[in-house]
Amino acid sequence: MKKRGRGIATIMFGFGYGEGFPDHSIASAEIEEEGKILIRTAAADVGQGILTTISQISAEVLKVKPEAIQIIPGDTHLTKNSGSSSATRQTFFTGNAVKEASEGLLSNIYHYASIEFRSNHVELGIKGGYIFRKDNPNNQLSYWELAERVKARGDNLKAESSFFPHTDKPDPETGQGEKLYVAYTFVTQIIDLEVNTDTGIVEVLKVYTAADIGKAINPKNVEGQIEGGTVQGIGMALMEEQIIKEGITLNPDLTGYLIPTSMDTPHFITRLIENEDSEGPYGAKGIGEPATIATAPAIANAIYDAIGVRIYDLPITPEKILKALKEKVKFTSEGWLGL
Amino acid sequence: MSKLNIELTINGKKRKVETTTSTRLLDLIRDDLHLTGTKEGCGKGECGACTVIMNGELAASCLILAPQADGAAITTIEGIGDDKYLDPIQEAFIETGAVQCGFCTPGMILAAKKLLEENPHPDEEEIKRGISGNLCRCTGYQKIIDAIKLAANRLSSSDSGRGKKDA
Repeated sequence: MKKRGRGIATIMFGFGYGEGFPDHSIASAEIEEEGKILIRTAAADVGQGILTTISQISAEVLKVKPEAIQIIPGDTHLTKNSGSSSATRQTFFTGNAVKEASEGLLSNIYHYASIEFRSNHVELGIKGGYIFRKDNPNNQLSYWELAERVKARGDNLKAESSFFPHTDKPDPETGQGEKLYVAYTFVTQIIDLEVNTDTGIVEVLKVYTAADIGKAINPKNVEGQIEGGTVQGIGMALMEEQIIKEGITLNPDLTGYLIPTSMDTPHFITRLIENEDSEGPYGAKGIGEPATIATAPAIANAIYDAIGVRIYDLPITPEKILKALKEKVKFTSEGWLGL
Repeated sequence: MSKLNIELTINGKKRKVETTTSTRLLDLIRDDLHLTGTKEGCGKGECGACTVIMNGELAASCLILAPQADGAAITTIEGIGDDKYLDPIQEAFIETGAVQCGFCTPGMILAAKKLLEENPHPDEEEIKRGISGNLCRCTGYQKIIDAIKLAANRLSSSDSGRGKKDA
């Protein structure tokens, strides 16, 4: 028999290293060859999309198309430390470093252009890679023309910035502190599933996600993180189990250690909550790890809703479900349940 | 390890290659033919990263010995499209955000290609089944499924069929 259940879970996640760790990111922005702006960062894009995100941020600040942004990523000779692509931190840390470096570059564009135009920065405007006098928009210089003139003065049109926020060490006794993390991401998931009481197999049908991520700089990428994280969470909840015996992993392959396939993918309904309430770029917060965490508890709750048994150790395999159902029947027949 | 010569058609071109009896087709493709779009994931036929189309069928190139490919016609991801010309499936993958780290993508696109050749109008379940031999750890598959749906729509709506860039 197939039984349906619905479960809910809410999580909060302090991202970045936090707890007083000297966590920071350095980035620079400079006017490159014709039509290009060069960003240097050591942030590793492992598929989460940080390079797309920082291209958008820099393009937004400098009022150019994202295609104008060129990036030198992760070259120890050419870039400075941006910290690891872990702890759900790159959008917040490197996003801010790139935003500040781009703002620094923009300040310099205004500064040198005001000299060129014999004007004041408040009388200047920018659009599409040009800076112009507001009282005479035809009087304009492209960023690249300006860079040539700045170079002729023996200077460079560039800026570097480091984003280095403070966090507090938690009190060792209470675990409390004023600001342990730079910000918190909140995620709630509601999961509908079906339990086959004959086979113990669980099929996750629908996943409703509400994620408070401050600002989705690239909504498609944020959805991608949520969907990918959720399917990893489904794996954690239902199938993924490393079996170790005397220090040896007995299932070091994808036949013995199962991860979700396309057949395990549920239907996703996702809502992004954009309160712009953090100190991240445009109010953005991290979504990498938070996307994975609510799934397993929501599934465990939904299984309880479906078949009335609580299973406390993951993964909730068909064997565990069948055993729990058998024991439930036994307890019920002997009057143990519902006392 | 004895050497031998084999001849195969790879992405439409005939190639003669010297290989050995114990070389895997995957290594022949990557190391000898320098077509590094085909990836090695698990190396034991479980993950689909090394998928190629061999004589019209999806094949895990890590499980095939190079001499077994003597006389075969093989399509790798390089035969699907390049920088100048992208296959509609590749375009759809980019547009829907179906690529994250990208390691499963070549195999995934070949699986999608094969699926759409056999079934130009797959429903969601058929798409899921069609790519179920290709593991993806990043995306949760949803955007890959969306991409294949989008590509199917475009390929069936363009008169001259697949292979044409969407106008």
